[in-house]
Amino acid sequence: MKKNTFYLLAGCIALILLAIFWYSVEIHNPLLIEFAFVIGIACAYFARTRVTDLIDDERSAKITEQAVLRTFQVFWVGFCALSIGAVMQILYVPQFPREFLLRRSPELLSPRMMGYFQLGLLCLMIFLYVGFRMYYARKYGEWEIDEE
Amino acid sequence: MKNKIKVFRAMHDLTQEDLAQTIGVTRQTILAIEKGKYVPSLDLAFRIARHFQVTLEEVFTYED
Repeated sequence: MKKNTFYLLAGCIALILLAIFWYSVEIHNPLLIEFAFVIGIACAYFARTRVTDLIDDERSAKITEQAVLRTFQVFWVGFCALSIGAVMQILYVPQFPREFLLRRSPELLSPRMMGYFQLGLLCLMIFLYVGFRMYYARKYGEWEIDEE
Repeated sequence: MKNKIKVFRAMHDLTQEDLAQTIGVTRQTILAIEKGKYVPSLDLAFRIARHFQVTLEEVFTYED
């Protein structure tokens, strides 16, 4: 399989997954998109092994490696700080005699909202990764102009 | 790390694409090495030197 065929196939898989996502929203069945997502990614990985052109070499592997490392180095600090705060809120046990409401530290987010917030942070991680990837791609001469 | 890949390419009348295909990397990698943006692994450095039938030191020079 050629490199461009693979990219085309990956695009088709993404479109099919998007359609399945909205269909599963329509029929209120989250299991459908969950299974479809796993199967779709497995298909993409399998197709990638069949590509005969060269897609990546040691330089592109290094770019990916560095971007992943930096993303996790930055992300886990923020995510854990928020999660620790959430655990503190969940573990809050009223003391006796009850304190005045004013003395109690304010609740920033309810446990349910905290879950949504963490989910949002996970989505933001993708943007963080893309940013780092672009930075390292530039550092290792991805968009250098040929002088030949 | 400095290198003379461009010189050896010219001597062998090779384009970046030709060299990249023979070595098994992308053309962008050869370009990045030539410009000093990327330092190749020892394995890749040996493959480049072997392709030009010279020693590693003749192609790559380490500078502090």
